[in-house]
This record gives sequence, structure tokens and C-alpha cells, in this order.
Amino acid sequence: MELRLKNKLRENIISITISLILTLFITSVIILLIGKNPFDIFGIIISEVFGSGYGLGQALFKATPLIITGSALAICFHASLFNIGAEGQLNLGAFVMSLAAFYFSALPAYLLFPVVIILGFAVSAFWGYIPAIIKIKKGVSEVITTIMMNFIAMALINFLLIEFFAVKSTVRTEKIADWIMIPKLSAYFQFFQGSSVNLTFFIALALAFAVYFMLYKTKFGYYIKAVGFNETAAKYIGIKNNRIMLLSFLIGSGLTSLVGLNFVLGYKGYYEFGFSNNLGFTAIAVALLAKNNPIGIIFTSLLFGMLDYGGLTVNTVIPKEIMFVVQAVVILSILSVDKIVNNYFQSKD
Amino acid sequence: MNSVELINISKHFGSLMANDGINLKVRDNSVHCIIGENGAGKSTLMKILFGIYRPDSGEIRVNGIPAHFRSAHDAIKLKIGMLHQHFMLVEDFSVIENVILGNELSKGITLDFDKSRQAITGLIEKYNLSLNPDSKVSDLNVSEKQKTELLKLLYRQSEIIIFDEPTAVLSPVEVGEFFKIITKFRDEGKTIIVITHKLKEVREIADDVTVLRRGKSVYSVNRESLDIDVLAKEIVGELEPATALQKINMGNNDIAVEIENIVLDKGGVRKLDGLNMKLRKGEVYGVCGVEGNGQGEIADLIFGLEKYSSGKFITFSDLISLIPDDRIEKGMIKEFSVGENVILKNKNINIISKNLIAKTTSEIVSKYDIRLSDYNAPLQSLSGGNQQKVIFAREIELDNDILVFAHPTRGVDINASAFIHSVIISERNKGKTVLLISSDLDEIFFLADRIGVLYKGKIVREFSSNELSSKSEEDVDVLLEKIGKLMIGITVEE
Amino acid sequence: MDIFGYIISLSFLAQVLRLFTPYYLGASAANFSERGGVINIAIEGFMITSAFCYALFAVLTGNVLLSLFLAVTINILFSLLYSAFTIKLKINQIVTGVGFNLLMAGLAKFIMMLIFRSSSNTPRIESLPHIPFIADMPGIGKVLADYIIIFTFLLVPISQYLIYKTKFGLRLRSAGENPAAAESLGVNVRNYKLYGVMLSGFLSALAGIWLASNQNSFSDGMIAGRGYIAIAAMIIGKWKPWNIFWACIMFAAFEAFEISLQISGINFPSQLLQMLPYLITVLVLIGFIGKTKPPAADGIPY
Repeated sequence: MELRLKNKLRENIISITISLILTLFITSVIILLIGKNPFDIFGIIISEVFGSGYGLGQALFKATPLIITGSALAICFHASLFNIGAEGQLNLGAFVMSLAAFYFSALPAYLLFPVVIILGFAVSAFWGYIPAIIKIKKGVSEVITTIMMNFIAMALINFLLIEFFAVKSTVRTEKIADWIMIPKLSAYFQFFQGSSVNLTFFIALALAFAVYFMLYKTKFGYYIKAVGFNETAAKYIGIKNNRIMLLSFLIGSGLTSLVGLNFVLGYKGYYEFGFSNNLGFTAIAVALLAKNNPIGIIFTSLLFGMLDYGGLTVNTVIPKEIMFVVQAVVILSILSVDKIVNNYFQSKD
Repeated sequence: MNSVELINISKHFGSLMANDGINLKVRDNSVHCIIGENGAGKSTLMKILFGIYRPDSGEIRVNGIPAHFRSAHDAIKLKIGMLHQHFMLVEDFSVIENVILGNELSKGITLDFDKSRQAITGLIEKYNLSLNPDSKVSDLNVSEKQKTELLKLLYRQSEIIIFDEPTAVLSPVEVGEFFKIITKFRDEGKTIIVITHKLKEVREIADDVTVLRRGKSVYSVNRESLDIDVLAKEIVGELEPATALQKINMGNNDIAVEIENIVLDKGGVRKLDGLNMKLRKGEVYGVCGVEGNGQGEIADLIFGLEKYSSGKFITFSDLISLIPDDRIEKGMIKEFSVGENVILKNKNINIISKNLIAKTTSEIVSKYDIRLSDYNAPLQSLSGGNQQKVIFAREIELDNDILVFAHPTRGVDINASAFIHSVIISERNKGKTVLLISSDLDEIFFLADRIGVLYKGKIVREFSSNELSSKSEEDVDVLLEKIGKLMIGITVEE
Repeated sequence: MDIFGYIISLSFLAQVLRLFTPYYLGASAANFSERGGVINIAIEGFMITSAFCYALFAVLTGNVLLSLFLAVTINILFSLLYSAFTIKLKINQIVTGVGFNLLMAGLAKFIMMLIFRSSSNTPRIESLPHIPFIADMPGIGKVLADYIIIFTFLLVPISQYLIYKTKFGLRLRSAGENPAAAESLGVNVRNYKLYGVMLSGFLSALAGIWLASNQNSFSDGMIAGRGYIAIAAMIIGKWKPWNIFWACIMFAAFEAFEISLQISGINFPSQLLQMLPYLITVLVLIGFIGKTKPPAADGIPY
């Protein structure tokens, strides 16, 4: 038994490898079924993504919000809080960021950016606060409330856009001033010419490392994990469970707002309804695949980012929508393979 | 003729031999008590007989025929029934629904509630159970829930019924009623097996008794030749000579915790009802009482986990250690390593590095002789005894002023008990304030300087150290009897 | 148009009944699963799959009854897969649900693009046949002449009877309330959980098929969160068939009102009305509007 636990890491590597192979296999079968050669398709994706600075940049650009949201959700998941409300939280945060950046553009930069980030964070965190407080005070599972809060958020944004903030006959906000835009990486590296990847990518990396440090190297992180593992024990150890749960939920949902940096401030210059395209759900998969380890989340996000952009590159051969299927297959493979591998090692003891 | 014969049954969990070649013969139409200390292997043996566990080796015979159980379902088919310590009831169902589940009476595909009600009412009247078959189980009290469990067995016409510590949850009056029911079962020709660790109950109801000790069946006797003293010795076995624990009188016995008229409600139930206690430095205060009279709430109150509605609670220090009754489930995060579990409680540490974990682990491991193969291994991979040690070690190393021990030796073997007792005394001798909550009277007598008897959320009588220091054996017996009565709410003439 | 006159009109009632149908089928689907203790938040995905499959086969074969049969079958196969994850492998039901939703929505998008070269909708398909005699009745006869609508109304008392008055219902509920107790009495808990999830697959299939048939095509986003509103209705209805019925009627009435507002050109932000079902659900969960309690072992793998 001791041996087994020592080999937890090996088990994880085995199950992740098997599930990726399984995904590759299932994808190949789908491609074969529609009469195409899977190797051709994979060949195109790899050469397009890695063959040019543009391709690589686009993959990094797609990975950025996943790293942010995945790391943020990892905090909640470590506390065993099933926050599936990231979609609503991050949309509200990005929406408010776009408004703040537009309406406060008179502020100097050293004030504007903190204000934009703090407002975005606060709104996203508030959207997480509601299900958190309902869970703590009423004992209602956060699962259903966060789902409902997603819909409320989207309807609310839609309402605010149409009634007040949208540019006429669009579903987007006004474009912010150019000087507020976060520089693209191509401004520093010619290599990424034309790609949308911007400095937010490094912010996302820093965030992932910071979340890693918090979860694995600080007392606070240990408290979060202790509450996630065993609430009763945490209570008797002297941890204020409710405070930890509330904080995890606030930080986790608040941080999702940072995707607004990538899309609003780093790319379009405005908030656009529907920009997230299920990001809040895909991020769950990204975090899950990495066992909620933020360093791992960087890699799984890169994989998903590559798939996302890769789908576009093969669109002429095979509908890019196949990537939705591939991403879902990755999730379901890791879920099932992980369990089977786990059971296998357990039965071997 | 024997209804049940268990021959040479062995069952191990990890390195622990829970049952080690046990033999048991239960005569037809008798009440057979199985007695032994916690961890003697009683529950494991009964779960084997009921098909929940499969034995490593050995044979089960029911009515003389070898039986092979793959699940409880197979045992049920042979008309064996078991009343578990923890109820197996669907709270949202009515009594009727709970009873018929799995053996429903139907008209076509419709459940025949009328017929079911008739059958169940018949059973209720026959055994005088006084229970409304249409009440929802979540509205019933403990004794009524137990009756519902009984109805499930009766409805299935179980002939061999196993009771796992049936009286633990009952009040004295309810225990009397319950024994009447059991006797009626026996008189009707059923075979009854009762797991217990109470000698008094054995004397009252047993036709035969088997003693289990450390996984072995060590002694069997029938009612005629039953000698309680012999039985008691067999249960405990050869006691290791108790290490003489010297209590040092501290002189300075300042009050450390003052609890005055505390009232505490939980889920609409009054748990503490005007509790008065004063804990002093350098003494062990023992709280004894039947479980569920507010013990858990006292511990939680002192540890700051519960809010009281009225009264006064003053503590001179908030450096408090709590060693909860279920240390495995409440005392540690079993997914964390030894070092991580220790650091978790250290208020001065905020950044946790690998080195720090390694250093903490090696300190505690060498000081307390904890056996583990790998410093990074999660606590759950250690043996049960070592896990417990880690928890005690951590709490002692914290060097807190107030220590609350809840049932510190429950589920612990004799050697570990001795270690824990010596820890408690040595902490007391350091001038710490120790609150000892235990349902084991012997333990409380052995360790406590003062004893408070807890009944229905208040201390009904406190025994000072003077009263406890009279050493003659007769005095102790008188005292024990007095405390025993107080515990079940009988006021004693002083 | 007189909006208040409209509300008490027959055509408003007909609209409510139409909107009610997929809600109640979906809510009922979620309920049978949860009564057995398996949370199914993939109702949305199941509805998408069945709506798409029905439209797909209707285009390919031109036979609506065959398409209905195939769509139901495929949904039940997916529910078996869902059971394999949640009951057999005991994988977390919420995560599985999220995965299934992504998979089912993705598959529909992908195959639609592959076969119809459109990311928005399939070609036009035939509706399911109507019940001949009722269709000729004046007033809301056209609505009531729909087999699935009639079935949905019958489903309310049928569910009530099935859940509370039959052996199947008793055992299904025991699996959702206290599986260990049920198992100790010889109930095959996992089988009953499986039946619950399969019923869920069947009923959500009818919901999706009805939507596609009623709209005469499948289009991307047509389910539009109805699967989640159905779950909301189940919660507000406290997992009880008749209460769920009223919750669905309420949601349907909101939506009918919203649609009529839009048609009448009254300037009222419809998004606020769209928010209502979710808002009410949160309020109910908080306990502002009655107490609600899921099956005791809901969501816990056994």
C-alpha cells in the first residue's frame, strides 16, 4: 500500500498518457470514418502550429485564457468546491473591464490599470460570492447555483449591452483607446508577426506559478486542501472552514476576470457577447486533466490551445468543429482511464 | 442442535488479524452474548456471519449445513437478520415503506399498502412495539428507529437475529423494554446473538456467553456456570503491570477555564443545559457519562467550535489542543504526510518548504518512535497505531496550555493505551489543564483528579479529589455504583 | 395588440402548452435520474443529441417515425454510456455531465457541418404526424393533436403513480435516498440507478425530438438552455411530479409572455424575463420560497 501511494505520480503519468493515446485513437477513427487520412490531418496541424511564429502565437493566444481560468478554478477544486460558474464569472469580469477601460480612460495609466483589474476582479468575485455564501449559510450545493448564476450573468450582460452599452446594432461595447491596449508579443518579437498573442500570456504564466506557490507552498494553500479533503477534520484541526471556502471561491472566481486582459485589452479592444465560447467549461477540463496542478494546467492549456487553433488550420479538409469533439473526448478519456488505472493498481495490492 | 456454528474463522485487514481462528457455537433457541473489548473482533465476526465480509479461512454452518455467503443477501435467504449499530433506514420513507422495501406486497404493479399495513400492525401489536406504521422515519426518535429496524427483521421472518451493541443508543428504561422483546423472540423459538461489552447485560439476558479477545475466542460459558468475575478477567486477559504514574501535586491550582451556566442548542435540541465547570491548571478533570449527554459539545465549546446561547465562558488561554474521539476521521488529513499534518497546526508557519516538512517529520518520527517507510507518504499509509501516535505527538509538541482528550483510548490496544495514559499524566504534571472525556469509568478513575458526572447537558455531581482519594476497595465500589446511578439520571442520597 | 387580452386568449394558452412540453419532459428526465441518486446535468446535451439525430435522419430517410425511433435509441445508448461512467466506474457525476454536454453539443455541430455544410441549421424536415380527430377541433385543437404533448400531460400522473405507488418507484427512491440500506435488503441498487438514467435518456429524447419536429429543423443553439431550465423546474418542484408540472407551467407562461411582448412591440427588456427562471431557482435554493431538499444520496456514487 505504501508503495502504491509513492507511485501516485507514476499512476498519474500512466493514466494521462493512456487517455491521450485513446483520444488520438478515437479521433483517428472519426477521421477515417469520413474518409480522410488521420496522419495527413495531424501533419497539417503540427506543421501549421509549429511551422510558423504566427501559428505558434495563435496557439499561445488560445491557451492564455485557459491557463488563467484553469488556474483560478484549481483553487476552488482543491477546496472541493465545484465552481462551474466560471463562464458567467469571467464574462461579467471581462464586460466590466471593457467598460472601466472605456469610461475611465482619462485616468493616468498607473491608476487606470489597477482600477480596471480591481473592478473586473471584484465583479467576478461577487458572482462567486453569491453561490459561496448560499453554500456556507444554507448548505446548498454550489453546483446548481453556479449553473443558474451563469445564465443570470449572461442575461444580465445581454440586457446591459442592449439597453445601455452596446455599439448600435452590435453586441459589443465601445472600443477602448489604443494606448490602453496591452502590447502584442509581435511588438517585441518579430517572430510572432500577425498573431494576437500578447503580454497577457506572461501574466497567465505568472498567475499559474503564483497559484501553484499558494496551493503547494503556503499554509493557506494547505488549509484549502485540508478543507477539500476532509471538512470535519479541518474543523477539528482548528481551520475556519467557512472562511477558507469563501476565500477560495472569491479568489477563484475573481481571478477568472483576468481573461478580460487577453481578449478585451490584449486583442479586440472591446467586450463582445459570446466571446468566451464555453471557456468556463473547457477550463474545467483543462484543470481536471492536470489534476488541478497549475503547472500542469499550463501544459494542458497549451495542448487545448493547439487543438483550438489546429482545428482552424484543417478546416478546409475537415470541419473545425471536430475540435469540440476532440476536447470532450479528452475529458471523458481522462475521467474513465484515470478511474480504471486507479482501480487496477488498487486491486493489485 | 446448533443454529450457527463458526469453525476456525480467520479474517485479516492489512497486518491486523481481526479474527484469528475463532470458534463459536450458538444453540438453537437461545440468547448468545458475544463479549469483548473494543477491537476484539466481535463486529468483524458478525459481519462474516451476515455475509458482509468473506472470511480468509474457516467454515460457517447454519442449522448444521455449510453455508457460503457472497453477500448479505445470501444470509438473508437463510433467515439470518442483523440489526446494525448504525441504522440502515431510509429517512424519507415511512415505517411501512422501510419495512417492505425489497419484499414488497403488490397488486399487479401497484404496491399493496393496505395489506402491508395490516401485516406490520400485526407485528407491532404482537411484540408491543408501540409505533405508528405511517410515520416518517425522519420524525422518529432513536428507540423508534430501532423498532423499525426490528420490524424489518420480523417482517422477513428472520430466525437468527444478530444485534450489534443494541443498547448503546438507548436510555435505561428503553433497555429494559428492549430486553423484554429479545426474551420474547427467544421464547418463540428464534435464536439471538448479541454483541456487547457490558457485563451487566450479559448477566441479565445471556443463555450462553463467548468471550473474544484480540481476535480469538478465548472462553465460553453457559448461564448456569456464569461467574462475572471470571468473565471480566477473560475479557481483559493478563493485564500488563500498569506503569506507576506518579501524579505530582502542583500547588498552584489556578482556574484555567471557567464555564458558568452555559446553555447550548444544536439543531433545535438542547445539548448543554446550564453547564457549570471549573478547570484548573495542573489537574485532570474527568467527565463521565452515558454517551450523547453533551460530551461532544463540551469539547467543541472549549475548542471554540460551538456558539452558546447563554452563560459565561472564560478561558485564560486560547492555546488549546483537542484530541477528538475519532482521530482518524477528525484529527488528521490522511492524504497529507506526517510532516504536513504537524505543520498544519503550527500557527507560526506560513510558508511551507520541502525542507521544513522533512525537518518536522524527522523530529517527530525520531522523538516518538513512529514507524514509516517514506517521509512523503500520506498518513493513511501508516499503521493505525502509528497514525494515532502522530496525532498525540503533534498535540503535545504544540505545548498548548489546555488539552482536551475525548475518549483517548477508544479503539486502541493495551500498549498504546498505557502510552496515552502516561502522556496525559505527564502533561498534567507539567502544569497543563487537562479535560478528559471518557465513557470508560476505570480510565477516569485512574487518571482524573476530579470527576464530574454529566447527565442531560449538565454536571449533576462533582467528586472532589478528597472524595476520590479514599483507596479502600469497598469505597471504590460504592463510589462506582454511585457514579453509575448518577450517569443514568438516578439521584443518590448523600 | 392588447397584451392583456392576449394573455387570457386561447392562443396564449396554446403557446404555454407548447413551451411547457419540452420543459416538463426534460425536468421529468432529470427527476427520474436524480430519484435514483444520479445527477444528470447533461439533460441539455441529451436534448441536443436527440433533436439533431431526429432532424438528421428525417433529412436522410424522409421517414419521421423511423427518425424518432433512431433518435430515441441513440439517446438511450448515450444514457447507457453515461451510466457506465457514473454508476459502473463511479466517476463524479457533475464532471461527467459537463463532459457529456461538451461532447454532445460538439458532435452535433461537427456532424451538421460535415453533412450539411452549415454551422447554423439542417434543411427543412417534416413534423411528426398529428392526431387526426383532435386536430379538427376548434381553438387549441391543433396543439392538443400532438402525440408528444398528450403524452407529456399523461406523464404527470404516470410519474406520480410510478414513483410513489409501485415497487419500481419505491426501489428507485431507495437507491437515491439510502443505497446502503436498500442493498442490505436485497435491492439491486445499481440496476435501479441504471433504469433511472435510461428513463432520463428516453424522456430527454422526446423533448429534443419534439423541439426539432415543431421547428421543422435542427439549428445550432436551438435548445438554448432548456435542459438547464428543466433542471431548475425539477428543483423548484422539489423532485415531485405535480410540483414540477406547476414549475414548468410557470416557466412556460413567462416565456409565452415574453414572446408576446416582443410581438406586440412593447418596449420591455426581454432579457430580464429570460433571467426569471434561474433567479427564482436561486431564491428557492436560498430558501426564500419554501424549503427544497434533494434525495439524500443524490450525486453520491454507489
